[in-house]
Amino acid sequence: MSDTLIFSPKPDRPAPAESVGLIGWLRGNLFKDVPNALMTILGAYIAFVVLSWVLNWAIFNAVWEAESRRECLDTVGRSGACWPGVGVWFENMIYGLYPKDKVWRINLGFAVLIAWMIPLWMPKVQSKVAIGLSAVLIYPFLASYFFLGGDKSILWTALISMSLTGFGWVWATALSETFVGKSIGEVIVDKAGARNADERRQRLIKRGAAFVIFLVAVLLVNEWALEEVRTRFWGGLFLTLVISGIGITFSLPAGILLALGRRSDMPVISMLCTAFIELFRSVPLITILFMFNTMLPLFMPQGVEVDQLLRAIVAVCLFAAAYMAEVIRGGLQAIPKGQFEAAASLGLGYWQTTTQIVLPQALKIMIPTIVGNFIGLFKDTTLVSIIGLFDLMNMARAVGEDTTWLGLFIEPFFAVTMIYFVFCFAMSSYSMRLERKLATGRDR
Amino acid sequence: MSADKRKTMIEVVGLNKWFGQFHVLKDIDLVVRDGERIVICGPSGSGKSTLIRCINQLEHHQEGDILVGGVPVEKKGGNVREIRGQVGMVFQSFNLFPHITVLENCTLTPQLGLQMPKAEAEEIAMKHLTRVGIDDQALKYPLQLSGGQQQRVAIARALTMQPKIMLFDEPTSALDPEMIKEVLDVMVELAEEGMTMICVTHEMGFARQVADEVIFMDQGEIVEAGAPESFFANPRYDRSQQFLAHVM
Amino acid sequence: MALSTEAATPKSSPSNPLSRMWRDARIRAIILQVLTLVGVIAFFGWLVMNTAYNLSQRNMSAGFGFLDVSAGFGIGFTLVEYQEGDSYLRVFYVGILNTLLVAVVAIFLATVLGLIVGLARLSDNWLIGKIARCYVELLRNTPLLLQIIAWYFGVFNLLPRPKQSIELAEGFVLNNRGFYLPAPVPEAGFNIVLITFAAAVIFAIGLYRWASVRLDKTGKAFPAISTGIAVIICAPLAVHLALGAPLGWDIPVLKGFNFTGGTSVPPSFCALIVALSAYTSCFIAEIVRAGIQSVSKGQLEAAGALNLPPNWTLRRVVMPQALRVIIPPLISQYLNVTKNSSLAIAIGFPDLVSVWMNTSLNQSGRAIPIVAMTMAFYCLVSLSVSLVMNYYNKRALLKER
Repeated sequence: MSDTLIFSPKPDRPAPAESVGLIGWLRGNLFKDVPNALMTILGAYIAFVVLSWVLNWAIFNAVWEAESRRECLDTVGRSGACWPGVGVWFENMIYGLYPKDKVWRINLGFAVLIAWMIPLWMPKVQSKVAIGLSAVLIYPFLASYFFLGGDKSILWTALISMSLTGFGWVWATALSETFVGKSIGEVIVDKAGARNADERRQRLIKRGAAFVIFLVAVLLVNEWALEEVRTRFWGGLFLTLVISGIGITFSLPAGILLALGRRSDMPVISMLCTAFIELFRSVPLITILFMFNTMLPLFMPQGVEVDQLLRAIVAVCLFAAAYMAEVIRGGLQAIPKGQFEAAASLGLGYWQTTTQIVLPQALKIMIPTIVGNFIGLFKDTTLVSIIGLFDLMNMARAVGEDTTWLGLFIEPFFAVTMIYFVFCFAMSSYSMRLERKLATGRDR
Repeated sequence: MSADKRKTMIEVVGLNKWFGQFHVLKDIDLVVRDGERIVICGPSGSGKSTLIRCINQLEHHQEGDILVGGVPVEKKGGNVREIRGQVGMVFQSFNLFPHITVLENCTLTPQLGLQMPKAEAEEIAMKHLTRVGIDDQALKYPLQLSGGQQQRVAIARALTMQPKIMLFDEPTSALDPEMIKEVLDVMVELAEEGMTMICVTHEMGFARQVADEVIFMDQGEIVEAGAPESFFANPRYDRSQQFLAHVM
Repeated sequence: MALSTEAATPKSSPSNPLSRMWRDARIRAIILQVLTLVGVIAFFGWLVMNTAYNLSQRNMSAGFGFLDVSAGFGIGFTLVEYQEGDSYLRVFYVGILNTLLVAVVAIFLATVLGLIVGLARLSDNWLIGKIARCYVELLRNTPLLLQIIAWYFGVFNLLPRPKQSIELAEGFVLNNRGFYLPAPVPEAGFNIVLITFAAAVIFAIGLYRWASVRLDKTGKAFPAISTGIAVIICAPLAVHLALGAPLGWDIPVLKGFNFTGGTSVPPSFCALIVALSAYTSCFIAEIVRAGIQSVSKGQLEAAGALNLPPNWTLRRVVMPQALRVIIPPLISQYLNVTKNSSLAIAIGFPDLVSVWMNTSLNQSGRAIPIVAMTMAFYCLVSLSVSLVMNYYNKRALLKER
């Protein structure tokens, strides 16, 4: 056998200048041929004109300090924005007509929500599902009391106390799981010296501790006396967040149940769910809002008054649930029959299969559409302005009706548009990131 | 060695290609004569697919010359249709058109590209479909066929344009083992009928049976080229020996 | 011994016939359904009882008798004749027509705009692609109602008074009373032009068929589509000119403080159309983009390798596959446009919801029949579109193993 030749690869050479680097990029992307070059020039011109016009109006020519619209107009006429009007009304745009001295309650309510959800981002915490569920199911009672205030019946006190206890539990769990590595229940059992006791004793200790904390919460809550702020005064971004928050948290579980019901083998359930979904999806949201607004008093027994905000919330929730149901049904349909067969052959029952195998996959597939629905819901809350609720958009209109700032229209609308855009864009970017993160083992 | 009087079908001189700053083909020289069967092999990322895709302009090269049937391939793709009329291609992922039948897949080119009447186009299509042994599936839709059947349809479809040269880009890599043979058999028949072909493949058995020349590529260069007997028995370079040791 | 008889009986063999029934899945299902049905009927029954009581208290009836009664209010814009004294039923009819008008015009504009933006998104040109992306993201992430109100109060309401109207062209005038256009007044002989048009359409269809057959027979292509379009445009035009242009135009003319003559649409209509079209166009753009991108690159490479002429590649390879992906969501968007037209109420355009579910309901107090009729209309529209879509989906399904 002759000597083996050694293969020495030739060195890489840099690519020719016209095809890479800035020039290459420009040639490929902007000036590939004559029509493209023309479009680039035209597009650049239009973009420049629009941007410079907007920036001039919003920043360079704008008035930042003035006492009234008349003052603004005298200074720059219509060529510059009059921001002081927005500044004066900003707090109203966020909180609506909520009494200014009680706005801290709203801030507290949302601060508690954020604090409630922080453990979801702490890496060592194990009970994330439970914490998430508690945020959805238990937090609302505490928040309702902060926002609404008013007299507390015994039942109401109990619910608020339970909510407060839940908050305590969430943080106790977060801290114990992060620093000690065990759940809070185990820590309490350890401290009581009952680590080696049998199950029943341990459970007794845990429940006793919970009950004691609950009693402490009740005592605390009893001391609280928040004045009632009726929903008539709720408005602005606060109201928009309340409506969309409730709508979003209701629509997902309700949508899941409706989708499962529609696919059910039981004809009565299937037909009822289908009828509900098709009805609420066929008609515009505004008709449903009107329907609930005008017809609910007719449906209620004599003397029962349903709060107007509540009517709107119910309408939005049912509407959102119907749309969510179709999205989830799409996800369920995308799951290959083999999954159901495998689960059945493993002896899993209907609910086990559904919650452990089917739903996690279906939800993962449909995340972008689900978040798209959330974004749509957030935007749809503007419709409540038509039935007279003072959401964010209506507050923007209210600015122009204030005599000091009469006719100020574009500036508050610009501000409100920015707020909506930031929220929606953030949600859709998050959903794209989530989709990428969860694309485990799908298309590689 | 007698002077090779056969016509030069493809000539590649000093071909260099970059993907961005990545130098993917380095100074490639290649001559393919009429009736020759060339097999190109090598590890993944060696640039073998890129090379044949440059020949029919599915990729554009930045430096060097490619001549197909004496016609130079313009770097910016000016005479693409003239070049592609002579070169047929079979893809790894078949790329059949799923919304029309197998027969319609094969009559598309004769009817719309070569402007034949439908009856004549169908005749030609059926001729090629029979040649690859798929004529009984002519009215089915591509997604109703197995992988091996789909690839044979793809070969028939490429043949309907009456190409002078056939390029195969890893035609069996996406197939289950049982179906590889049926496709290779068709390719062997094609070779024996005298079709000029360049085939990028891992199927060394096919190379041994049919190839006039085996080209081994690595890292964008042609490392070694030679008759299959000498290449498989006595590879001269260390890289070729390593590669063959892994593949055989 | 502490073994109780209870503990000795294993839980899996019940002797109780009731619990045996519970374990049988079929019987469980039936019981569940019966309970659900009973619950639902009870709930609705309770609602009906309350409603009947409340209605009798307010001395209202729930019947449809009021439809013959004169409505007694004017409507700002109608496609057909309407007087203040016309019946409620007529109001319903007018509302439906207005809604459909808004829907049709907005659908058309949104499709054209969406197509352009969608293709721009796919463009090789980085700048054009980015501009299109900004357009889509900006309009998509802002509520539609906000956009409608912005267009109305920010643009169309700020237009000058009739005396200082903006004249886009002879007879096309924009001012704060609306958009005025010339109205066609057909004279004698115009019928012939219309007949020519109909004949041209039939001819174009026939031409297309003939060209297809010819292509199959001889392999030669004939530009049937462009010829057909040319004929449809030119033939009626030629006849029109030959007959001395038998089409008068009623041009809007400023008389005093306002324009007379011609037709007009109110500023609320303009704002609604512009906002709806722009908003929907960005969803349509994304649909078009997704549809075209759904055709895998390999398909194009294969068509290229087969040396298929580019226009045939588009017609026979790309379009059929892209349309399968585009059409279902596109139809959904069209349905959304129809439903979103109901936001007209925010700016006072008299669509169905505004004129029927709002004004008529307030005037007559007949909440139940009015709401029922409105829902029925939208349900009818939605369900018929669904049926068409289902039929299309079944036909268009790619045949697989």
